[in-house]
Amino acid sequence: MAGSELEILKGITLEIKSGESVAIIGASGSGKSTLLGLLAGLDEATAGSVTINDTDLGALDEDGRALFRGQHVGFVFQSFQLLPALTALENVMLPLELQGQSKAQEQAGHFLQRVGLGARTGHYPLQLSGGEQQRVALARAFASKPSILFADEPTGNLDKTTGDHIIDLLFELNREEGTTLVLVTHDHSLADRCQRRLRLDGGALVQE
Amino acid sequence: MSITATKMLARDWRGGELGVLVMALVLAVGVVSGISAFTSRLQNALEQESHRFLAADVVVSSSRELPAQWIEKSDVDGLQHALTLQFPSMVYAGEDTMSLASVKAVSEAYPLRGALTYSTEPFGAVVSADTGPPQGEVWLDSRLFALLDVTIGDTVTVGEATFVVAAAARTEPDQGSSFYGYGPRVLMHYDDIPATAVVQPGSRVEYRHLYAGASASIADFTQWLEPQLQDGQRVITVEEGQPGISNALDRAESFLLLAGSLAVVLAGVAVALAARRFSERHHNYVAIIKSLGATSGTINRLYGSSLLLLGLMATVIGCLLGWGIQALFFYLFADQMPVQPGPSGVRPYAIGAVTSLTCLLCFAWPPLRRLGQSSPLRVLRRDLPLEGRRAIQDYALGLLAITLLMWWYSADWKLTLAVLAGLALTAGLGFCLALTLLRGGRLVGMSAGSIWRLALAGLQRRGTANALQVVIFAMAIMMLLMLLLVRTSLIDEWQAQLPDDAPNHFMINIGPEDVQPIEQALRLENITSEPFYPMIRGRMMSVQGADLPITDDVEEGRRQREINFTWSDTLPADNKLLAGRWWEPGTEEALVSLEEEFAGRMGIEVGDTVGFLVGSQVLETRVASIRQLDWQSMRPNFFLVFPPRLLAAYPATFMTSFHLDVTEKSFLNRFVRNFPTVTVIEMDVVVEQIRTIINQVSAAINLVLIVILAAGGLVLVAGVQASVDARVHESAILRALGAQRRLILGGLLIEFATMGMFAGLLATVAAELSVFILQTTVMEMDYTPTPWIWPLGIVAGTVIIGALGVFSCRRVVSAPPVEVLREL
Repeated sequence: MAGSELEILKGITLEIKSGESVAIIGASGSGKSTLLGLLAGLDEATAGSVTINDTDLGALDEDGRALFRGQHVGFVFQSFQLLPALTALENVMLPLELQGQSKAQEQAGHFLQRVGLGARTGHYPLQLSGGEQQRVALARAFASKPSILFADEPTGNLDKTTGDHIIDLLFELNREEGTTLVLVTHDHSLADRCQRRLRLDGGALVQE
Repeated sequence: MSITATKMLARDWRGGELGVLVMALVLAVGVVSGISAFTSRLQNALEQESHRFLAADVVVSSSRELPAQWIEKSDVDGLQHALTLQFPSMVYAGEDTMSLASVKAVSEAYPLRGALTYSTEPFGAVVSADTGPPQGEVWLDSRLFALLDVTIGDTVTVGEATFVVAAAARTEPDQGSSFYGYGPRVLMHYDDIPATAVVQPGSRVEYRHLYAGASASIADFTQWLEPQLQDGQRVITVEEGQPGISNALDRAESFLLLAGSLAVVLAGVAVALAARRFSERHHNYVAIIKSLGATSGTINRLYGSSLLLLGLMATVIGCLLGWGIQALFFYLFADQMPVQPGPSGVRPYAIGAVTSLTCLLCFAWPPLRRLGQSSPLRVLRRDLPLEGRRAIQDYALGLLAITLLMWWYSADWKLTLAVLAGLALTAGLGFCLALTLLRGGRLVGMSAGSIWRLALAGLQRRGTANALQVVIFAMAIMMLLMLLLVRTSLIDEWQAQLPDDAPNHFMINIGPEDVQPIEQALRLENITSEPFYPMIRGRMMSVQGADLPITDDVEEGRRQREINFTWSDTLPADNKLLAGRWWEPGTEEALVSLEEEFAGRMGIEVGDTVGFLVGSQVLETRVASIRQLDWQSMRPNFFLVFPPRLLAAYPATFMTSFHLDVTEKSFLNRFVRNFPTVTVIEMDVVVEQIRTIINQVSAAINLVLIVILAAGGLVLVAGVQASVDARVHESAILRALGAQRRLILGGLLIEFATMGMFAGLLATVAAELSVFILQTTVMEMDYTPTPWIWPLGIVAGTVIIGALGVFSCRRVVSAPPVEVLREL
């Protein structure tokens, strides 16, 4: 920004084991989303490194990281991030198609069934409620069998009851698939369901 | 890659995202190919129409008989041919009555284009005919009936042959303008010539071969013919036969090419706008796909092949639309078309297809290509700025492409340059002006009332985007104004040239003693005439003291020649002085004033000396001035004008021209009886033909203007649409916060209307510049400033853009804010 550098994250060293579930909590503006972006390989760090499954993300260019994300990473976002022009089924099929999987439709259908939307595969995101949209997003995230799943405030846009259902579903699927989970939230009760909790405060990480 | 472009295209199509882009492309191809097809078919038709003035497609003339092999060759080539022979001869009715006449003998096939007309009594009702009189019969000029005292069914003698008078000859399609020195017409059959025995070696005659056929065969034939022409043989073109018509057609053609070129530019702008919007809306889309593992290569491949597929689809649909547009034109136009429009060929559709591909490549691809570089981080942070920094480079590329397209399309770099100059002025000056003015709004606006504050805040916040939009609006408005201006001055000029009461009859050979009685006779009938000009015949002998060559059978170039001239103390009306000075009234100096093209052909400049033989006297004169004439005015015009005192001693006859309505034609019967020595030349049919052509061309021009107006309107809509997303979103937030409908719509109205006003102002300035360049260099017309364009441009810009803006954003006040916010 106009000559002066802004330090958002400071001296963070963090190791997450395979299969572990970790919550990162912190107030608005504490750098949660920035950290998530770096961990997931959506962004490049100005200094330091991120290694997932022995792959140094910093050594990859954006295309390399994209391929890596496609193979190893899944996402669940606060604002769902479904493509409005695609049906629920097509949204779930998308990462599988990008990987060139031949049974994309079958697999996508299976996961939609699993999140309880087997009857609504042909609906467009606008025709679905917020909770239903997030369930499609969950199906999409798990359909590509990622080794690590990043969730960014997955209940942020949902009411309490719906949010709870989504979280139950998220942890269930996580258990079934044996996925590593990194969850960013400011909701302590949600964070409590993870094996480990980390708090970001002014860009620094504090173990709780 | 199992996700294919077709699949993505189909999904996008269902999602409604592609609509705008496809519409823009289809319209671009449709309008460009439609206008181009219309123009080429119309040109085709008008060219055919103009061939009527030659009675053929190609004419070769000579004072000696033309080779018969040419006709054989034309038969082999599948062309039609006709022969004519024209010569002056005495015509007798009985022993004592005779008159000098201009005899024209024509073969059966004559005329190949257009029609002959005759009447069953002198000056009677006109009937059309495909062929001239059969052998043994003649048609006589109406006034010969009085001069020879004959009626239909009587006989007349030409040379040694006698003919039955079958009809009154009225008009020939190729009457042309070479009537000086000829008497009234006698029309006879070509095969009767030997019987008359009047054509001897050395007779003053003009042989003509007329050819007609398919334009390709005609072109081949002309190419074969031209190298074989010998001295005294020449090809006559439409330009020569009817300079007025050909001039009008040339300008009309320039106009239509201009219109087509503007359609190309408008299409490019529309596609660019639509693609920009498409790509902006797709940044989030791409971020999501990227977060799911798509590389930039995948994204580029996806969007690239989608675009290609889209382009193919749009081209096919667009060409169909273009075909429909031109077919509709000709359907609407059918009543006013005397000739069948020819085929347009594939070129217009090729132009449409190339336009589509160029638009895609230069306007649609750059913003889409940047989608591949879009950051996946947008999935977490939607407020990331869009990668739009290289837009200027894109526009430069687009401009270059459009320039090349326009140049290819119009094949006229001056025209292309004139349009470009206007566009560049709009873009450059406009962008700076818009930025400063829109920024200036901040100072004035802060204390203003609520609606104004909202509008001005909106204007400033999107300063750069708005300035760009103003420029785009201004470009579209400029092009429309430009076309409107050119069209108006063209049509005005044509109307001025041939007003309804334009002279349509000439009177020559008026003896000095007849001038007053004729003036009186005309006055009695309430007929107003042009002034009576004295006419003296002389021979031009030398330039700068050196004798000119004597080669009477060569028309062109420097040679001694018989010529008619006049005298005057004042510069004749409609004449324009190009060089030198007009003489003082009453001067006794030996001066002369020359017509521009004549002087050019003879290589004479102001100050040169020119020698003439008038009667038996030699006259050495100095060239005092060079004039430009308006040959289309149907007024007496002269190559050479002398001061009156110089010619006072020589015997002169007089000439004039006047307008005679078709209902008053019988006046001529009485007139030629009373003044038998005077020659009346009827030009009314020719004038009417010229007027018909000009009316048709005017109608075509108006029609094309309407289509381009519609295309320009679409660009304005696309321009407004491009900015609607952000505005609707903001307005929805304002509504959610409790702002009233009136405040929001009022704010939007002021915002758009202000942009429209600036755009209108810029457009007017740039249009004036472009039209100035166009009219002075391409159309060769006089430029006159048009004050009415200023209020029109500014008011139209304000009203149209304001209304379009509010209309496009109306949903924000009709739909619940939540719904609007959720969609975006």
